[in-house]
Formats: sequence, C-alpha cells, structure tokens
Amino acid sequence: MKNNLLKKMFFVAIMLTGSVIFAQTVSGIISDESGPLPGASVLVKGTSNGVTTDFDGNFTLDNVASDATLVVDFLGFKSQDVSVAGKSVINVTLEVDASQLDEVVVTALGIKRSEKTLTFAQQTVKGEDLMKTKDVNFVNALSGKAAGVEVRQSSSGPGGSTKIQIRGAKSASGDSQPLFVIDGVPMTNNKGGQPSGWNGVDGGDGLSALNPDDIESMSILKGANAAILYGSDGANGVVIITTKSGKAGATKVNVTSSASVRSIIDTPELQYRYGSVNGAKENWSYTSGDYADNFVDDWFQTGFDLINGVSVSGGNDKTQAYFSYGNTTSTGVSPNNDYKKNNFSFKQSTKVLNDKVKITSNVILSQEKTKNRNRAGYYNNPLTGLYWFPRDRNFNDFKDNYGIFNPDRNLDEMSLSDSGGWFVQDHHQSNPYWLLNKESQDDDFKRVIANLSVAWTIDDHFSFQMRMNYDFAKKTYDEQRMAGGNTTTVARNGRWAYQDFTDSKTYMDGILNYNNSIGDFTVNALVGATYQRTEYRLGVSVNTGMEDSGLLYANEFNFQNIGPIVQVGSTLNNNVEKQSIFGNVELGWKEMLFVDLAGRNDWASTLAETGNESYFYPSIGLSAILSKIIEMPDWTSFLKARASMATIGNEVPWNRITPDNRVTDAGTVSTNTVKPFLDAKPELISTFEVGLDWRMFKSRLGIDFTYYDITSKDQFLRFPLESQLYTSEYINAGEIKNSGIEITLNGTPIVTENFSWSTTFNYSANTNEIIELSPNALDAGLGGTEGFAAPLIEGGSFGDIWGFKFQRDGEGRIILDDTDGGPLKTAQRELLGNAEPDFAVGWSNNLNYKSWSVNMQINGKFGGIVASQTESLLDGNGVSERSAAARDRGYENINAVQNGQPVTQIDPFTYYGEGPGTGGRNGISEAYIYDRTSVRLAQLSISYQFNVEQLDWISNASLSLIGNNLFYFYKDAPFDPEITNSTSRSQPGIENYNLPATRTTGLNLSVTF
Amino acid sequence: MKKIKYILIFAFIFSIGACTDGFEELNQNPNQITDESLKQDFQIVGSKYAPLFQNLFGNQIHHNLSNESWAQHLAQPTVFVGNANNTTYDITWNPNWDRTYNNIMSPSGLVMLLAEEAELPLFVHWAKLIRILAMSRLTAFHGPVIFTQFGGAQAGYDSEPILYNAFFTQLDEILAFFKANVNAQDMMQFDESYGGDISSWIRLVNSMRLRLAMRISMADPVLAKTQGEKALSDSGGLIESNDQNLNVFLYGKVYHPVTISFGWADTRMSATMESVLVGYKDPRISKFFDEVADPALVPDHPEFPYKGIRSGASLDAKGDHTMYSNISSDFKTVTERRFMGAAEVEFIKAEAALRGWSGVGTAQSHYEAGVNRSFEEWGAAGAATYLANNTDLPIDYDDIVYQGDRNDFVNKMTVTVAWDNALSNEEKLDKIITQKWIASRTNTMESWVDHRRTGYPKLPNIFDNRSNAEDGILADDEFLRRVIYTNGQRQNNAAKVAEAVGFLGGPDEIGTRLWWDTGANF
Repeated sequence: MKNNLLKKMFFVAIMLTGSVIFAQTVSGIISDESGPLPGASVLVKGTSNGVTTDFDGNFTLDNVASDATLVVDFLGFKSQDVSVAGKSVINVTLEVDASQLDEVVVTALGIKRSEKTLTFAQQTVKGEDLMKTKDVNFVNALSGKAAGVEVRQSSSGPGGSTKIQIRGAKSASGDSQPLFVIDGVPMTNNKGGQPSGWNGVDGGDGLSALNPDDIESMSILKGANAAILYGSDGANGVVIITTKSGKAGATKVNVTSSASVRSIIDTPELQYRYGSVNGAKENWSYTSGDYADNFVDDWFQTGFDLINGVSVSGGNDKTQAYFSYGNTTSTGVSPNNDYKKNNFSFKQSTKVLNDKVKITSNVILSQEKTKNRNRAGYYNNPLTGLYWFPRDRNFNDFKDNYGIFNPDRNLDEMSLSDSGGWFVQDHHQSNPYWLLNKESQDDDFKRVIANLSVAWTIDDHFSFQMRMNYDFAKKTYDEQRMAGGNTTTVARNGRWAYQDFTDSKTYMDGILNYNNSIGDFTVNALVGATYQRTEYRLGVSVNTGMEDSGLLYANEFNFQNIGPIVQVGSTLNNNVEKQSIFGNVELGWKEMLFVDLAGRNDWASTLAETGNESYFYPSIGLSAILSKIIEMPDWTSFLKARASMATIGNEVPWNRITPDNRVTDAGTVSTNTVKPFLDAKPELISTFEVGLDWRMFKSRLGIDFTYYDITSKDQFLRFPLESQLYTSEYINAGEIKNSGIEITLNGTPIVTENFSWSTTFNYSANTNEIIELSPNALDAGLGGTEGFAAPLIEGGSFGDIWGFKFQRDGEGRIILDDTDGGPLKTAQRELLGNAEPDFAVGWSNNLNYKSWSVNMQINGKFGGIVASQTESLLDGNGVSERSAAARDRGYENINAVQNGQPVTQIDPFTYYGEGPGTGGRNGISEAYIYDRTSVRLAQLSISYQFNVEQLDWISNASLSLIGNNLFYFYKDAPFDPEITNSTSRSQPGIENYNLPATRTTGLNLSVTF
Repeated sequence: MKKIKYILIFAFIFSIGACTDGFEELNQNPNQITDESLKQDFQIVGSKYAPLFQNLFGNQIHHNLSNESWAQHLAQPTVFVGNANNTTYDITWNPNWDRTYNNIMSPSGLVMLLAEEAELPLFVHWAKLIRILAMSRLTAFHGPVIFTQFGGAQAGYDSEPILYNAFFTQLDEILAFFKANVNAQDMMQFDESYGGDISSWIRLVNSMRLRLAMRISMADPVLAKTQGEKALSDSGGLIESNDQNLNVFLYGKVYHPVTISFGWADTRMSATMESVLVGYKDPRISKFFDEVADPALVPDHPEFPYKGIRSGASLDAKGDHTMYSNISSDFKTVTERRFMGAAEVEFIKAEAALRGWSGVGTAQSHYEAGVNRSFEEWGAAGAATYLANNTDLPIDYDDIVYQGDRNDFVNKMTVTVAWDNALSNEEKLDKIITQKWIASRTNTMESWVDHRRTGYPKLPNIFDNRSNAEDGILADDEFLRRVIYTNGQRQNNAAKVAEAVGFLGGPDEIGTRLWWDTGANF
C-alpha cells in the first residue's frame, strides 16, 4: 500500500514535469504453451538490470526506460526481444526452440525445470501414450516406455496390483517399490496381501484408484539423486504423476468411451486322452481313451471392459477448473470375477491479491469394487481341480452336482463322492464349481485425496508455496467360504476372513524459492520442510479359522456369529511420523554449466529411542552443455554430459525397535523374543550416475545414455539368535550393489506433410550383486515355495532361484535310481538362475498419415529365468501333454545312466510322475525352469481423426482400434513370464497356478466439444 | 517488513523439522501388550506360562509326521512329497529344534529374569522345570543339544551324559525349593494343570526323575539306579493315580490331532495299533479310535471294526485309505492332553523291579497296576479279563485296499498280556514295554524312546523305506534312531554341530544311536 501510494505520487509528479522519457516499472507473466514458466530471465537489453520469473512466471522490473527493449530468455526456448513502448504490463509467450527440442519437465516436489539443466536421468511418459490402449490396470502401460523401469503384473485380473522396480532391488527388507507422487505430493500406494505358493489372493494396490484419463504425464526419476527431495520414500526412485488442470479459454468437454474384450491367451498344454487308474487322482493310465476335452476351455469366458469418461475444463485468467468423471466396468475371464470403478476429480485454481497468491485445490474421489479376484497357489484355487481332473471321469457330474445334500445337517456339502461333490479329499484341489458358487472374495475400496496449495509470489526473486494433502482410503476385504467346502481350509460352519481398515496419510510442506541471475550466473534455490504422518491398516480383522465353533451357525458371516474361540483383532500396520528440512541450490553459468547441490535432514519416528532418529544426507550433481562450450559439427544439435552422486537414508520399518508382547488367539500372552534394536541406524543408499544426452540432425535423432552404480549399505536384516532371552535380532549389515546402463534412442526418421514416423527405443540392463550380508549369517532367507527357494546369499543376487537339479555324471548324463529307475535329484538345492532379465527393451512407434495414426509398443525381456510349480504338478498328475506324448510313444527320450549302463529311453511315469520322476510338489526343479525371454506386441492402436471443421460444436473426434498384449513374437515359457504369482519380493519369477495371461482388443472413441 | 516475512517463513519451515517428542509412543504398536501393562494382576510373570505349556506339544509335522509315526501309533493316508518324507525315513520336516528354542527356551529365559526381578523364586523354578520337560523331549530326537551353554550366539552342545546330569541336578534344586515352599499359593491362578498345588508338582518332579533315570538304565546303570531310587524313595511321592497326572490344558483349542484326522484327513489309526489292540481284544480300542463304516474293510475281525494304515506305507492316492479308522471322535471335546501319568510310572516301576532297584514292589504288581491305571484313565471296562488273557497275540495285518502283500505284515510280537513269573526278564520287559506302548496313546514320545532303547514292542518295519544318503541310509530291517540336526544349526553353528557329532560318536545321520540306545537290555 505504502509503495503504491508513493508510486502514484511519483507518477503525478512526473506527469507534472511533462517529461517524455522516464523510468517505469514493468511487470508481467512469461509463459509457454502449457502455462507459466518459472525461472525465465528477463533482462533490459544493454544493461545488467534483470530478473528471473517466479514460480508462476511473474516478473517485475523496476527502473525500465519506457523505450527500452526486454530480452526474455529461457533455456530450450527461442529468445525474444520485446519493446516496452511505455507499457507497464508485458506478457510474453515463448516459443519452443525446435532446434533444441528441450522440454520443461516436472521434477521433485512439483518443481519445473528445464530438462537441460538436470544432472540426473529422468524420463517422461505422456498421459496420452499411457492411455492409448486403455488398459484397465493402466500402470501396466508403463512397461517398456521408460528405460530401467521393470513392470510386472499380478495374475489376479482387473484391479490387480503391479510390481514396479526401478534400477533393481536395493533393499533386503522392503520391496524396493518406487514412490508415487501426484502433483508434487506423495501418494499412498499400499499393497494388499499377496498370495504365497500355497494360498491367497492379490489384495490390489493404491494406484488403481486413479483415473488414468486425468493424467497429463508421468515422469520417472530413476536415481536417488533425483529423489533426494522426497527423502527415504524416494530411495527406490519416484514416479511423478502430473494431473490435468483447467486451461483458460473456452470450456472444453471431452468424452471418451472404450469397449474391449479380454480373453486368455492360452492354458497350459494339457492332455485329455489318458485317465486315472483305480480311482487315483492322478492321470497315469497307459491306455488312451476318448474323453471330453472341453471342460478346461469351458471354464474360461470372455471378459468385457467398458471404460467411459467425461471431463470438463475451462476458466479465465484468474480461475481455471477441471472436472472429470470416469467409470470402469470390467468382467474377468474366469466366472464371477468382476471389477467396477468410479472416479471423480475436481481441480480448480484461483489467483487472488493482485495475482500474487494462487490457490489451487484438488479433490480426487474413487470407489472400487472387486469380486472374486483370481487366486494363486493351491488352496481354494479352482485351477488345480480343473487342470488335474481325471480324464476318465465325467466332469459334468461334478459341474452340476458340486454340492451333495447332507440329510444329517440339512445342507449341501462338497462331499467325497464319485458322482458329485468332489472325487477326492485333497487339500490341493476342490470342485471348481463349488468354489465358484460357494466361496467368494469381495474387496471394496473407497478413497479420497484432497489437496490444497497456496503459492505466494513475494517479489521478483522469492516465492513461497505451502501444500496440504490428506489421503484417506477405506478398504474392506470380505472372504466367505460356505460350510461343506474343502475340509483343510473350510471349517464345519464355514469360514469368514474379514478385514476392514483405513489408510491415511497427512502431508504438509512449505517451500521457499529463490531465483535470480547475476551476471553470467543463474541461481535456482529452495529451502523447505515437510511433515508427513501415516497411519495404515487401522481397523479390525477377523479370521474364524478351522475350529468347529469358529462360526456358531452355518453360513452366517457377521460378527454376531463368531464363536468365543475366535480372536477379533485390532490392526495397525504403520504409524509413522516423518519431518524433514531440505535445501537445494542449482547454480548455472552462461547456461552451459550447472551445479546442483541438495541436502536433507529427516527425523523419523520409526527410529525413536535409537538416537539416530535424525539423519542427514547430501547430493551433488553437475551438468555441462558441451555443445555450447565446444564447437560441434553441424549435425550435432545438442550435447550434454551429466554426473551426480547422492546418498539417501532409509528409515527402518515401523515398530521394530522395541516390539512388545501379543495376546494370542488362545487368550494367552505371547512374549516378544525379538531383541530390542536400540542402536538401529537408517539404511544408506549411495548412488553415482553419469549420462550423456546427444541430439543430432536438428534433433531428429537423440541418444540418452546413463550408467549408474547404486550401493545399499547397513541393510536392516533379521537373523535368528539363540540367547537366554531372544530368538532373533535385527542388525544393520550387508551391502547390495546394483549397476547398469540405460539407453534411450529417439528419432523422427520421416517427416513429410502427410506422413510422419517417430520412434523411441529403450534399453536397460541391471546387475545386482549381494556383496555382503552379515558377519554371522550368510543367508537371509527371502522366500520361495516348495522345491524352489529364493534366498539372499552373499555373492548371489536378488531374484536368484534355487532348486533341485538332476544328478548328473561326468558326461552330463542324468543318473537314474538303481532300483526304481527314476531320475535322481541333487541332495541340496542349487542355483538355477536369476529371475531378473539380462536386459530389457521397449520400442514404441508412432506413425501418422493424414487423419490416421498408428501407435505400436513392442516389449522384450532377454535372459533370466522363471520357474513353474504349475508345470511340475501337471506332470505329477499326468495331465501335461508331454507326458501323454511320451505315453503315445511308449517312452521318453533321455540321456541317462543307470547302474553304469547308458539309458536313452525311460518309462513316462518313471520320468514325469510324482515320486520317481521330475513332477509333483517336490520334484526336480530343474525340469521346470524356463527362459524368461519374451518379445511381444504389448500395445497397438490404430486411430482415425474425424474431420470436424464444419461442425461448430465439435472440436475434435477420433476413433481407435486398440489392443493390449496382442501376441508374442517369441516366448519360451509355457506361460506368460511377465505375470507374477505375487507382486511382493518373496517369490521372484515363481509361478503356481496363476490365471493365464490375457489379451484385450477393443474400440475407443474420444470426442471433444 | 520483507525481513519479517522471511523470518516467519523460516520459522514455519524449521518448526516442522524439530519436534520429535511423540516419536517413541508412535513407534509402539498399541495392539500389543507392554511389560508395564502386564504388571497388573502379576501377569508379567504369570501370563508367560500358558504359552510355555502350549508349546510342550507341537503340531502335525512336529509329532504326527515324526514320533507318532515312528512309534507307530498313527499312520498317514496322504502321499506327502511323493511318499518320500519323515514317515518313510527321508527327513523332510525337522521343526522340533526351532520350536523348542524359540517357544520354550527363549521365553522361559525371559520369565526367569522377570520372576527374579519381581522376587518370585517359585516361578523361576517352575520355568526351569518346564525347560526340563521340553528339553528331555528334544534330546530324544537329536541326542546332544544346547542346554547348559544355552544363551549365546553359536552356543555349544552338551554331550548326553552332561545333559542328563544337568537334568538331575536341576531337578534336585527344583525339588528342594518346592518342598520348602509347599504351601505357597502364588502359582494358583496361572497353573491350569494342578491349580497351583505344589505337592502335585513335587510328584511330577519325582516322576520325571524316574522316567529319565530309566532312559539311561543301560547307558549309565549306576547313575540310573541312584537317581531312580532317589525318585522312588522321595517323601514327596510319585504320580500314583490318574488324578495326579500332569495334563496340559489346551487353552480352549482343539486337540490338534482332531484337526489332522477329521479336518485334513491326514492321519489314521496305524496298522500296528490294529494288530495289537484287535489281537489282544483290547477294550481301549473304542476309546482310541472310531470304527470304520464299511464292514468289508475288516473281514478278518468284524467284531473289531477298526482298520489301520501301515506305518511308512507305500501309497498311491490319499483317497485309498481315508476310510480307515479315524482317531476317536471323543477327542473332539477334550480340553487337556496328558504329559505324564500314573500308568507310565507303574510300568517304569515294573521295569525297575526287573532291574533290582530298591523301593519298588514286584514287577507283576506294578505291571498289572499300570494296565489298571490305563483302563481307568480311558474309562475302559474289563481290565481283569484283559490281564488274564494268556493266549491272544497281536494279529497279522492285511492292507485290504491294495492287492497282494503290499503293506501287509506278519506279526512279530510274541508276548501275551497275562503276566507269567516263569518268563525270562527279557520276555517280562517285552510285556511291560508293550503295555506301556499301548497306555501311552496320545503322547508317544517316551514310547518312541522305549522302542529304540529296548526294542519293544516288536514293531514291524516300515514298508516303503526311502532313507537315502542325504540323511543316512537304513536297511529295510532297521528303524530310524534319531533325527539329524537342523539346517539352520548346520549352517549357522557348524563348529558346534561338529562337536556335537563328536559326542554322538557317529555321523549326523538317522541311523546313529543315541547314548541310551545301547542295543542291550540287561
């Protein structure tokens, strides 16, 4: 106010003197097509009077002569000269410098930076590229689109979880998942339970709550360098999701609708000509018969996905708003599996107080309902009973009569019977139609993410931003098994497993920004603080278990009906507070050399009582635009070299320092025997990376190369301990190293008036090495199932799969048992290989011809192994086609030796059957290892853009034919090796009765009004 | 004015990253119970006993697929692991070590510490006694175990002589303390077995001493006699009636074999039980097992419609044998499980009489008392008739669902039930141990020890011998004599395991005999 008054008085005084030329104040906004540009420089030509724009592209320059010229410059944009000509407000829109094709990218904390100045690798995927083929689980579309990002999906179907890993597994305790950030704010991505080899079902994750149509772009910060501003949560990389915002101008309405069909690609290769002997459950007859061969195919159905959405966006200079609604309805490929989702989002921003303060709010609501996700493992999984069914029996007897009336109880049971119920009492299998009709799993998620941010432009150099975010989810998992089911997993009156809980995260930050240019130097600096409070799985959980009195009355699934023996548990998984302060300075010199320094101090409640709850870690990065420093040949348009180093601290999990005792379901107290870990330290991850960004031929061709080396130390590991008081202890020990390269090639080989072709090729290779574990233990067992194990062993790697091999003689011949003639297995498990691929490639192509465009994504994984317990049991049960082919032939070929004599032919049962042979639950693992290598057409869309110029009310309309996971160019495994049993870390590459992979094809219509 | 802005902003930023007051509380799980809270009602010490007692017994792989199968009380219809598993002498599950150390030794260590802090020495001694109950079972699996040196990383093993001496010394201490505090009421609310009655615990201490003394009767006859006579002559007495038995409360849980038998259909009566109980016309058979539904399964003894599965049988499909006899449905409602009882004490006394230990009556009187106590315990009638039977022998076994002689066996047992003073000591011992074997139903650990120690009863060998070089090869006429050390110990405590193998005097294999398994009875 005071300033204004003075200004006015001064203005009046000047007017009175009648002077023609005088110094004035000029302000305005510098922006590009997509919005304001922070950090652009505005300089009065021929003087050193200059400023850089603030967070929202605002600048104010004092003492500008009314006839001066302003030079507006921003890296990656064409420099622009603007005459002041007495104007006090000058808004400039900069054009992208096509010769550099530089992009402004959103990096940590929502800060926009010119890509050129970055000292670390970052790759951006546009929302439209992710959504071209409308995958119900949109995160899968990320696969192959960014180098070094490994995506594996659960086999549980629509709404299932995804395993994402950037640059390998770094931590022996967590699952090395990256942090997801929406508009600068970390989001909760809690995974539900994961199946083991035996039992269970995927519980989904938090990403599915987003409406993919709301996504403007996704940026992937791969290294800890980039992630340091997020602290330990970002230690495994960060995926930054920027959502769409309203734009000033006429209101736009966009409607999209896609319909697609989904079907399984193939079932395992099964035989239908050899049945069982003497009523056995295995199909080991040697006499072939003419048996039904359709019951497996009949089980599966065609799934339908309908994804509809509408969005409205618009606004004026002061206020913009965006609203969207999305609806997804999906039915699975197995009966009774479906998924429904509704998404609402509303985002608005308003400028107030002379445009100095911008208030943005964003609310995202979602509701998801999943029925009967596909299970994995043996228990209550319809696939075991379906695949193994004895061929000589009539499946329809069991399909129609899955329940047999028990007059003693006046209810239906899956009784042991040859004409209904199920023909065998076996914990590994049940009547699939009993499971379908009598057992259900309903998951119900509701979520709200509400966000408010206030950005205040203090003056030319300083701006301040505060954000508050509340992320709240309510989740219910309700599993009901009716009385009379499999007696191993269903009690007399049925079984109920129910969980109802909330996940919440409160996040606040405040960041003070400073931008300036002083002579040849530019400064971008910030200092900030965050507060984060999470409270996960706060609720109740009950599992009525296997006792007769678990449920009082049959088939009533509610709390009233729980017997006194059942424990109803209060749950809480994660109750953590973290506070941080951080600072970051990026210094530029002549827009050629950049130095980036950052530091962060965290205070984590999970380290309470250790004295190490406060910890600091720094990072430093350098980048040099060599093409500006050294004279380059004409064909090099741009060349940048970058290097950076960072250390990042990772706090320990919740409630590990001094765990307490527990009340057990028997009403007794289970005493804690884990040693208090009062000297715990945060895990430290140190990274180093160098990279080169080279663009040639007027940027028609670009190569981005990165080498990185990541060392994780002071891992948080648990080992058994035999002491007077404790049975196990946690220690900080070990060293895990990941190193690798990432190459992204992009090019626009053809551009003509009517036709263009642009292509991007991503390559990445990562090597993981467990250099050291602990001084007193060499193996921190990770998991595995049955014969397969996935240990963490010094000198090994994450993802190593161990199992039993064939015993072989010096010539490599398989040694057969002296008496039964079956192949012998090694006494101990041995290393079979590693689940991670040697390298991965992703190749996307965009072809445009007039109104037509084709987008194609080809993904390949090369090397690595996958293990199949499914195939092992198919052999054990005599239902694999190979076991039948061998019976047709009368023998299986083998290069073996028995009692010193060479053997070339072996009896099929002796080779494949459970007991003497390779098959069954604990057979010879080596026989069920497959190459993970696969190359597939992951996505294809063919779009036509309608000509709507004549129609006022439509601005844009397109129709696309879309397909996901269409076919394999090459695949070795008898199943899709990219599908995983569990998206947790415990069973890398081990598959056990997963749903087969699916492909989708459909149509997508998009109309903008 | 501008400065004030920045000061405010910085103050705001730094105010976030400063307050760590609530961290300690946040990092605790509110759904757990702290030691502080457990001090109420003295649960800090008392509540620790229930899980200790619960863990005296394990579950399916700990017993049903281990000692219950090797002692041939129960057998399995299920084709586990292609039929190469514990029951066929291919060690697949070896879980008793970890269960004992994780669930008994470590928590009891904490209890002892807490009880000492709270000045409750009675509880210290109670925990010590539970340790002996548990460790005397674990050593029966492996031989040398970690006991006197327990408490550190990579702890050393005790040889069996050192171990048994330690057991006896500790029993001395416990006994002395119990006797000095015989009227103490402290344990009352936490003792589900004896309601805090110290005299009952004294009888158990003496009975345990007697059991362990008899175990080592051939390994160290002098020590065995000394300790045995000490137990027999102690003023505190022994368990002499069934109401003095040590029964472990199930804490509301179902008796686990019910789940294994009825829920999972993974266990059934053993063929050996069928042979012995049917042969002797034992009325307890209906207390132990359920009848089969189909009379066609028992053509050779329709009046005893019970059918068992051969131990270590050769099996095609689980469904082949699930119609054989379940354990008795009566077990569905039991609330406790016997750890040691009056019948066992009588049978040990009968053996002590054969061995010339003082403080006992005649072998016959104790033998017959043992049978009587067992009949009383199970509520079976007709003990007198049973004891008078000097003709019937166990029968031959036919696995009726399989063709030919697959799984069949010819009975090798040669003693009848009725006592005969004219018999040799060897034959008398055979009778005693055979009856002790029957009476031990539901807790086979000592029967498995007795069979290895004395060779009685003359059990058939398993049918499908899958022993292999990994765990030790056994000939088809040999029995498994111990369980190998766990992989965890072999990997993480290799040097001490090597020492233990030295104590063992043979390789760490299933054929190596334990200290008390001397191969001779007199």
